[in-house]
Amino acid sequence: MRNAYLNYAGKRLLQAAVVVLLAYVFTFLVVSILPGDPITSILHDPQNAFTMEQIEEIIQAQGLNDPIAVQLWHALSGFVSGDLGLSMRSSRPVATLIAEVLPSTLILASSALAVALALAGLIAYGSQFLPRRFGQGFVRSLPSLFLSVPNFVIGLVLIHLFGFQLGLFMVIDPNSFWATVFAAIALGIPISAQIAEVLVANLDNESAQEYAAVARARGLRQSPLFFRHFLKPSALPVVTVVALMVGEVLGGALITETVFGRTGIGNLVQRSVVTQDLPVLQAVVSLAAVVFVLVNLIADLVYPLLDPRVKILGAVAVRASASTSETPSPTVTA
Amino acid sequence: MTISFTSTLSRKRLRAPFVAWGIPPSVALSFLILTLVIGWSLTPSLFSSHDPFVGIPADKLQAPSLAHWFGTDQLGRDLYARVVHGTASSVSSALIAVVIGLFVGGLIGLLAGFLGGWVDIIFARLVDVLLAIPSFLLAVIVVTALGFDTINAAIATGVSAVAVFARVMRSEVIKTRQATFVEASFLSGGSRWHILLRHVLPNASRSVLPLAVLRFGLSILVIAGLAFLGYGDPPPASDWGLLISIGKDYMKWPWLIYAPAVAIIATVLSLNRISRWLRKTD
Amino acid sequence: MTDHKTSLRLSRRSLLAGSAALTVASFSGISAFAQDAQAGGDIVFLINSLGDTWIPNNSAISSFQGHIWGHVTDKLVYVDADGAASPWLAESWEQNDSATEFTLRLKNGVTFSDTTPLDAAAVVANLDIWYAGRTEDGINPIGLFPKTYDHAEAVDALTVKVVFKAPTLGFIPTLGYHGSILISPKTLETPATEQADLSKSFGSGPYVVDSWKEGDFVKLVKRDDYNWGPAAVGHTGPAFLDSITYKLVAEQSLRVAAVQAGQADIGYNASPQELQSLQEEGFVVATPRYLGFVNGWAINTKIAPYDDVKVRQALQVALNRQEIIDTVYTPDWKLATSFIQSNVPGATDHSALLAHDAAKAEALLDEAGWIKGADGLRAKDGVPLSLTLHSNPYLATAKAVDELIAQQLGRIGWKVEIRAYDVVTFGEKVRYAGEGIPAYEVTRSFIDAGTVAGILTDANKGENWFNLGESDARINDLRDKIAGAGSLEVRAPLLDELQAYVLEQGYFIPRTQIVQRIYVQSPAVKGVVYNGVAYASYYTATKASA
Repeated sequence: MRNAYLNYAGKRLLQAAVVVLLAYVFTFLVVSILPGDPITSILHDPQNAFTMEQIEEIIQAQGLNDPIAVQLWHALSGFVSGDLGLSMRSSRPVATLIAEVLPSTLILASSALAVALALAGLIAYGSQFLPRRFGQGFVRSLPSLFLSVPNFVIGLVLIHLFGFQLGLFMVIDPNSFWATVFAAIALGIPISAQIAEVLVANLDNESAQEYAAVARARGLRQSPLFFRHFLKPSALPVVTVVALMVGEVLGGALITETVFGRTGIGNLVQRSVVTQDLPVLQAVVSLAAVVFVLVNLIADLVYPLLDPRVKILGAVAVRASASTSETPSPTVTA
Repeated sequence: MTISFTSTLSRKRLRAPFVAWGIPPSVALSFLILTLVIGWSLTPSLFSSHDPFVGIPADKLQAPSLAHWFGTDQLGRDLYARVVHGTASSVSSALIAVVIGLFVGGLIGLLAGFLGGWVDIIFARLVDVLLAIPSFLLAVIVVTALGFDTINAAIATGVSAVAVFARVMRSEVIKTRQATFVEASFLSGGSRWHILLRHVLPNASRSVLPLAVLRFGLSILVIAGLAFLGYGDPPPASDWGLLISIGKDYMKWPWLIYAPAVAIIATVLSLNRISRWLRKTD
Repeated sequence: MTDHKTSLRLSRRSLLAGSAALTVASFSGISAFAQDAQAGGDIVFLINSLGDTWIPNNSAISSFQGHIWGHVTDKLVYVDADGAASPWLAESWEQNDSATEFTLRLKNGVTFSDTTPLDAAAVVANLDIWYAGRTEDGINPIGLFPKTYDHAEAVDALTVKVVFKAPTLGFIPTLGYHGSILISPKTLETPATEQADLSKSFGSGPYVVDSWKEGDFVKLVKRDDYNWGPAAVGHTGPAFLDSITYKLVAEQSLRVAAVQAGQADIGYNASPQELQSLQEEGFVVATPRYLGFVNGWAINTKIAPYDDVKVRQALQVALNRQEIIDTVYTPDWKLATSFIQSNVPGATDHSALLAHDAAKAEALLDEAGWIKGADGLRAKDGVPLSLTLHSNPYLATAKAVDELIAQQLGRIGWKVEIRAYDVVTFGEKVRYAGEGIPAYEVTRSFIDAGTVAGILTDANKGENWFNLGESDARINDLRDKIAGAGSLEVRAPLLDELQAYVLEQGYFIPRTQIVQRIYVQSPAVKGVVYNGVAYASYYTATKASA
């Protein structure tokens, strides 16, 4: 059993490493398709008034004309030894750039997940215990609505209402408490919808079970019923969805950080994309892949704790079915 | 997946005519909205008499009124006309995205699930890589490589959906393959292609279709997001996302944001509703 | 002030004893506020980008980083909004008859904020790196620095001799250009990755970098021992404001709204649409023009139908420039009167050539054989009359102007297609006289009108904006005469003739005078000075405490 587990863990880790490495190469190839890079772009700035000959000279001097394969080899050998290289845009180490902005994104992402879970919980609770005629239908339609509103629209509306009309936060200080809360709400709303959908579906399932009827008949109050008997068994698919959501939070941060003016990973990507700063993009994509792979690994390991029926080796199968056949929507997010 | 989207009120009032066909009123309403959207995209000039590209500069930034239902923009163009004329591009780009996701992803999933073995392993790695990159980040990077315009944004969105389609298709194919009737067909000497086309594909498509409809709505959002970040068509195009992105520069005149936003929300909401309904009726 | 500059050019070999007249003139206005100025106060400047890199050579000309460099560093020469050059860290200068040797005398006692003295050796180090950069290390040369530079040497601790391979009249004004910022030689020696860290770059300016975060903010604090400001701004001591924070807020509407809400003091690059209501609310709106070319198109005369002078002339009068200002801009924007901004010394008024005349445009097109079809569009031999525009990503309003022009030209049957690229793609694909680029949208500042000679043709590595090569004898002649002009008196009529000719021929189609930097400012901030490249300097500014 122990050997089997180690075998399994080793295999998963190796797979993860391959995925991350491929993601790195993939980004390199995709971004290299288009001519242009930050250095050349600065040279082309009309204010600089460089002639084409001067530009050629400078590009030559910096080795930007090397064949793609040579460039990839340089980048890849650096990456494998842990060197993320220099940003072409700012000439500063990529690792420094990421370290500077990571805390902001981690705060935003974790608050957004917290908001999402809280909202999803509320929706789930409402879906079970609000009167059928009043409110339940509305609450049940919320996830659909949340998934239909572009998240930049939510952000813009929140900023206008709470930042300017009510003056709750200073727009120019996006790291303040309230600014962070509203950014987290903007980012969390679409995520909450996907968690809520899974949660509600599972709760409906549970509440149709016999034991729920028995518990109700025994006069168990709503809250204990909700938390003890409904929520716990539903936790398993929720963990799956949340694990899948982590990548999406990073993607969503791209827009939310831009709208709220936060200096995080999403903002760094945005700045790097417009200048085609390849080393930074590669590093961020690899980082996202690492996070995704790790979180899913952790989710696998958490499974047996949540549901004793699941043995470690069975986890993969359960997760696969939880994420594809049972609930098609969580994997398909914007 | 038994989420009802109807409000109790509308259910009561609208019930009668649709119940007979088994269509809930909210689904009927969704179809109605989509019909309007399709109308907008096919014959925009039927729905709006104003020119979406030429405005009267002196009439710029007017609030919504009878003459201009959604108000006018910074160059005095009728915003309603711009929203209506922007529909075709918004809808068709989302369609392109879904078609790419569906065909490329579907093919990968089909081959991986049906052939198994090495093909499955290689495709599985590829799908893993695509899944490990957050889909919006992936779309942004692909659109960078292709250049910034709406068609490229659509392609990028499609690429970012490939993994999802591949995954669902693969699991459906495997499920069907193991079903008794397929086993039986194998035993009775049916050719691989015959089985694939006759049994596996129709069965798998039953769950892929609702996904495609859902994905269609999401693609509208993703493409709007890309346009918002500046990766869409240049003006005077009037894709919905682009309109919002222009509108954000004029937040003192909020209808510039709200009008296209409502168009997006209504369309995506309708698509989501229909997708759910398809899944349930199946 | 122009007079002062004239004397500068005329009196070759004469020692320039400062700019007494200028100083007196501007002092009368400024001394009053300097007395009741309260020292102290902090301001927040909201900016839409903080640019890419902080390597001084690579970022000095940027519309964004330039603001910070303007406060952290000094220059040898000061150039004001009217193009007049006056002494700053170079107290005086002289030049030889052929304008190939210049001698600069430096102010005494100036130091960089890392305590290195700003002496002749430091100036030589800066001149060298401006000219050549260190390209293999990723440090670019300064684009507009004269390519005729040979070498510079320190004659003594405060005297620098600069030698050129050919006559270089533009050298002194170039020292006041935003690219020519003086950086501590110790900084210049460090590798690019270190120079990219703003806190490790040291200048001699009235402010020093307190803290910064990439893509977020830069906080500057006042340098107490600063005592060498440009006399032209009327104040030479330490700055009044304690700190300036440049804070990045990407959304245009948010920057303005934050200033309105009192959350910041200055918002950069507001939408022109909002300016009027802001002014009515009591905010100060500044739309300084830089010295340079107006915003307009350099026409590629090798691409049909723009190889036909009649079509170019039709385009020249088909534009309704007043409508552009009324619709996209505000009355703060000025109509173009030439292809160079009207505040450039040497610019002359050719408004008559640029007046809107749709009937004349239609007649010219008819003459040229572009006949209106049933669909209202013009065509010749089955080819529709069309113009492809590439919106300049360096000007926020470029797309809106393009759209309006598309409407204007559409009315007379001219089809306009607009392409908008991001900065990187634009740099790769869109060039002066490039293939498939009939009209290049110009946004370019310069300090000296003599620059114009370098863009007309391809001779002497010229930029050849109109793709004329050497084909237009009259242009060639004007180019040589302007480049070789020995004084402003000789050059002025030549420049006038050139401007008229270029506009008549439709080589350059002006749109409006360019305002690339728009400032919305709280009324509490006073005493802001805008220099020749339209950067706001808060060195002399004060802030009334609320």
